[in-house]
Amino acid sequence: MAGRFRYNPAMKKSAPQKKSPKKRSPKGKKQPWFWRLFLRVSLIGLVLLAGWMVYLDAVVTSRFEGRRFEVPSRVYARPLELYDGASVSASALQRELELAGYRSGSAAAAGSYRRSGGQFEIHTRGFRFSDGEEPRRRLSLSVFGDRVQQFSVVDGPTSPIVRLEPAQIGGIYPAHKEDRVLVELDEVPELFRNTLMAVEDRQFYDHFGIAPMSIARAMLANIRAGGIVQGGSTLTQQLVKNFFLTRDQTLLRKGNEALMSLLLELHYEKDDILETYINEVYVGQAGTRAIHGFGLASQFYFGESIADLDSHQIAMLVGLVKGPSYYNPRRHPERARSRRNLVLGVMADSGLISEQEASRAQGQPLGVASKPSYSENRYPAYIDLVRRHLARDYRQEDLQSEGLRIFTTLNPAIQYAAEFAVTDTLKSMDGRSEGVLESAMVVTSRDSGEVLALVGGRDPQFAGFNRAVDARRPIGSLVKPFIYLTALQNPDEYTLVTPVEDKSFSLVFDDGRRWEPKNYDGEERGEVPLHLALSRSYNLPAVRVGLDVGIDAVKTTLQNFGVSDGISDYPSMLLGSVSMTPVTVAQIYQGLATSGFNTPLRTIRQVTDSDGQALSRYSLKVDQVADSASVHLVQYAMQEAMQEGTGRSVYRTVPDELTLAGKTGTTDDGRDSWFAGFSGDLLAVTWVGRDDNGPTPLTGATGALPVWARFMSRVPQHGFSPVVPDGVAYHWVNSEQAAITEQGCENARFMPFIVGSEPDIEASCGGSIQSRVRGWFEGLFE
Amino acid sequence: MTSKLIQKFTIIALAAALSACATGPGGGSIYVPAETDDTTAPEPPRIDPGADEPRVERKSEQPDTERRSPSYQDEGDELPAAARGLIGQAESLLAAGDAQGAVSQLERAQRIAPRSAEVYFGLAEAYVALNQLGAAEQFALKGLSLAGSDSLLQRNGWLLMADIRRARGNVAGADQAEARAGAL
Repeated sequence: MAGRFRYNPAMKKSAPQKKSPKKRSPKGKKQPWFWRLFLRVSLIGLVLLAGWMVYLDAVVTSRFEGRRFEVPSRVYARPLELYDGASVSASALQRELELAGYRSGSAAAAGSYRRSGGQFEIHTRGFRFSDGEEPRRRLSLSVFGDRVQQFSVVDGPTSPIVRLEPAQIGGIYPAHKEDRVLVELDEVPELFRNTLMAVEDRQFYDHFGIAPMSIARAMLANIRAGGIVQGGSTLTQQLVKNFFLTRDQTLLRKGNEALMSLLLELHYEKDDILETYINEVYVGQAGTRAIHGFGLASQFYFGESIADLDSHQIAMLVGLVKGPSYYNPRRHPERARSRRNLVLGVMADSGLISEQEASRAQGQPLGVASKPSYSENRYPAYIDLVRRHLARDYRQEDLQSEGLRIFTTLNPAIQYAAEFAVTDTLKSMDGRSEGVLESAMVVTSRDSGEVLALVGGRDPQFAGFNRAVDARRPIGSLVKPFIYLTALQNPDEYTLVTPVEDKSFSLVFDDGRRWEPKNYDGEERGEVPLHLALSRSYNLPAVRVGLDVGIDAVKTTLQNFGVSDGISDYPSMLLGSVSMTPVTVAQIYQGLATSGFNTPLRTIRQVTDSDGQALSRYSLKVDQVADSASVHLVQYAMQEAMQEGTGRSVYRTVPDELTLAGKTGTTDDGRDSWFAGFSGDLLAVTWVGRDDNGPTPLTGATGALPVWARFMSRVPQHGFSPVVPDGVAYHWVNSEQAAITEQGCENARFMPFIVGSEPDIEASCGGSIQSRVRGWFEGLFE
Repeated sequence: MTSKLIQKFTIIALAAALSACATGPGGGSIYVPAETDDTTAPEPPRIDPGADEPRVERKSEQPDTERRSPSYQDEGDELPAAARGLIGQAESLLAAGDAQGAVSQLERAQRIAPRSAEVYFGLAEAYVALNQLGAAEQFALKGLSLAGSDSLLQRNGWLLMADIRRARGNVAGADQAEARAGAL
């Protein structure tokens, strides 16, 4: 990677001139002994000093020649796309803007917005995406019925669709936790540079690293005060202090500082030193993260780029140098304000701004963004998964230092809804279980496999055990759709109305052990049509069908859908004794949700270097792993599960119009409560259970489903309505009798069949059976 | 053979006629706004009646006996204008030889219109230009899975598929795809 902030040889001074004003003592004269001693000591001293200088020189140049700064990588949420018809609620849009550091107000300046009810005016800052620039624009739109309407570009290049700049949601920091945004000197406004010099180092362009007069002045002040109260440090000295030395103020350190400043000036141009200073200076703290450099300071305090700062903002930032914590504008606004106004006075005195401008600026409010543009580790579980994905292609040290930009698929609105659903629903379940209930949730975009939200526990802000990624738990009945899918792929043997036996039986293994599966309710129903066996999640038919098609075949289906390892060969796997993490469940359900297309889950769209050049892309991939027709049949039964089967309680929470498909999962003694399901837009998997794997009174329908339902009810989205694939036709059938029937009959269901596998008998509304005339009629033509 | 075809067409026509009652008007996916907009009241009183107490099913509170039917549709969703614009941009980029740029715009379009066959056909074409024919075939398949009963889309999709398969050296598959396009 060619970082643009590496040392630039052009800036190095070409011929450093070392003057060696050594004095020679005149020979031949006899000197007193003390003079000889003095000379010797001085000589030894000079040699030592020279050696020390050589050492310091090496320190100075080696640090300046290499990469000067380790710049953390920035992790961004997905950019919000705004256009007519875009799906977003007004509150979600406002949160999105706040997350991206927009200020509420007039929408006059870039990075601000105005909202009145559902009416928004947004002044974007612009952003350079690797596929093109989104320039600054002023947008006007209204949100009605959770959709964007009357979208228009008021100011700036017109476009029917505009991407907001993405919100930063995290960073990958070097061990010392310094955060910075590098700027080049010519990006820094002249007023800024001049103010900095006027306040900190008036003679910067004239001195040679140290300013003896200033030092003398400072020493005088220090002697008067009886301690170090004033520094006569030049910018060069300050840079040396921050860059190479410890913070303690000893005389030795002061000496080193002076020597190194001289050396630095000897080797490097003033502009180079100033640029490094501007990027190095410490200007604040956000938790464990140290804010360095004015580039980041502008964003951190004002949410603006350094090029756009107003004079009062420049004054505040320059004023901060004297004491970032003492003058912290968020904690001590009064101190910050008087310091700022002092700096504005200096600016006016130095002729940088007019008196009128100074008094105007002094009257301005501080205008500091109420909180940092993002709080550290707001989405620990999600970032954790991002880091794991990054680790496949990037080294940790590069991520910590190269200033990469990582564009993730996180959707803040979906994440918000997911976190709310988990925390709020779990709170309401407290007291129902002996141990502490925990939970995890994964939400993906159904057709793209992008991970939109991830919740790793009931306290989503807590960066602890990430259950969504690391909790491998038996999936229970979540395995059943894959058993039936395996069966339905053979339409000669199985259709949705094929009667399957709901009767107990026992298996005796070679070693004499017996296995007697039971239904959850302990009952047996004789024969049930396959679709009811799935939508009601009966165990006995699932095991029977699974044994009939073969455990190996079911295993192959699971593998095709994305399970890489750990599937047991025992028949108990047919009841879900196979363990998976919530993320893996989301992966295998992706294929069920998309007509048999496996879509690898992604958290990252793209990684670029600090200039926005793409380094790696993680593109959408699809891979058909099952024929769409048989998946369509399974989807039918999974929709039925929501409407009248194990998932029906969902419609107490979500509106009737939102068509959904899904499956509950429960393991022995309620140790795991699962729900996996999808709408037209989203696929979500929830898990509820205990970390100690203890029993709970919950089932999939009473533990994980309420979380899932709460989530679905809070997200505007399209209902699930799959396109009928080629080779599938719908018929009115009496499913109990596995017969074609008429639409008006009481038991009639309109069900899909792979063409040719539809029943060849007919049932009247009364239930009397006859062979299908049409089937016989068709036979004539064969 | 012909009778089967006729049968197939009758079934499709029948299904199309009947589907009008099984799905919503227009056939596209139905957009459902969220129940609550929480700006005005950040923590609204819960509307959900059952969440705080254990869910004991009582006959009386069960949903009405009127049975809902699982949903389906005969065609993919219509392309929204924003997505059409992005596909247009992708086409220009592709024509200018920037296939990777085209993929970026098509992926944006896909996120806006994930259930429209056109987007996937566009991706298939871009991957043909990138000479990633395996990916191209998969996107063509995905597009076809959403073309439903739209015979124009079906035809375009199968012709695209025929080209891709031929380029991959799968002559039999290409002929088959062409035959399917011809039959439409």
